[in-house]
Amino acid sequence: MLEVRDGSGAAFERLVQRFQSRLVMVLEHLVGNRDLAEDLAQEVFLRVYRARQTYVPGAKFSTWLFTIANNLAASALRSKGRHHEVHLDLQDTGPWKARPLEALLQASSGQMPARQFDKAEMRDMVHLALKSLSERQRLAVLLNKFEGMCYADIAEVMELTPKAVKSLLSRARMNLRDILQPYLEHGESPAAESS
Amino acid sequence: MSQLSQPSDESPEPAVLDEQLVAYLDGELSPEESRRVESLLASDPAVRRRLQGLDCSWQALDELERVPLDNQFTRTTMEMVALAATEDLERNRREKPRQRRRRWLLAGLSLGLAAACGFVVVWFAWPDPDRQLLQDLPLLQRLDEYRQVDDIEFLKMLAREGLFDEDRTQH
Repeated sequence: MLEVRDGSGAAFERLVQRFQSRLVMVLEHLVGNRDLAEDLAQEVFLRVYRARQTYVPGAKFSTWLFTIANNLAASALRSKGRHHEVHLDLQDTGPWKARPLEALLQASSGQMPARQFDKAEMRDMVHLALKSLSERQRLAVLLNKFEGMCYADIAEVMELTPKAVKSLLSRARMNLRDILQPYLEHGESPAAESS
Repeated sequence: MSQLSQPSDESPEPAVLDEQLVAYLDGELSPEESRRVESLLASDPAVRRRLQGLDCSWQALDELERVPLDNQFTRTTMEMVALAATEDLERNRREKPRQRRRRWLLAGLSLGLAAACGFVVVWFAWPDPDRQLLQDLPLLQRLDEYRQVDDIEFLKMLAREGLFDEDRTQH
């Protein structure tokens, strides 16, 4: 990043190559659309380039990058009016059929009978489980899982305290467990369970 | 402080326990808290199952599809950045003469203001011998006449009678 700050185009290209897939992946899960995620990722890189002079040596680049990405994703969701947060509080809700996840499942694959453990199906299940989290929980999970960020770094990106991140991640992982565990242990999807 | 952070015989609330288990899996607990979680795990199979559930669902996230980006994305990003950089340079080039003019104008105004302030300060602070002379001019002009009168009280009385008013208005 220091080379980028000093105006090296080659260094910036290396930076783009290193972070582009990770950034697009996180953004895609945040905005739910691949094309929009790619557009936003390019905008993030553009902002990084324009703000390169303000980069402080020693600051963690990925934290800075994902802070910009988080702000951009939030404003993109706001401006496009597609900020429909699906919050799934499994401790407070009733049976599966009353939960948003079932609607997500049925929308994607209809009534799913209990079936063999299948990689594509597993991927869909995980995707839906992740989608059922609130946006904040999802971002915290993505940064923790795929960027390997500690609570303090996530807190910086999301402008929270590490304690709040701990609580946010805990709720997110409890939700993921409650959704995925029946499937992982018995191959039962939430929809199958409710039928 | 969570319940797990304090030694207790009672089992912690499930939510508190899960929060500590998650932090334990993430390596975010202090050594002391980690030891407490480990002793709980060793003694309670239900806690072990909770931990396993959290861990398995976490590992399942590895199944998420990751579509790698090709060189096209890098190329278009670099082109976009290069275009933006060119536009920035062009804008700076256009703005430069205007900025320079603004800087000169600002410098001139600052200089003028500083000069005015300096003049005012010097005017009030510097003792001017001519100012005192001007103030005493009426007295100096009639000094010889005043000397002929020995008594100051008599002079004051003449002044009260208005003898010197004509002179004052003339000056």
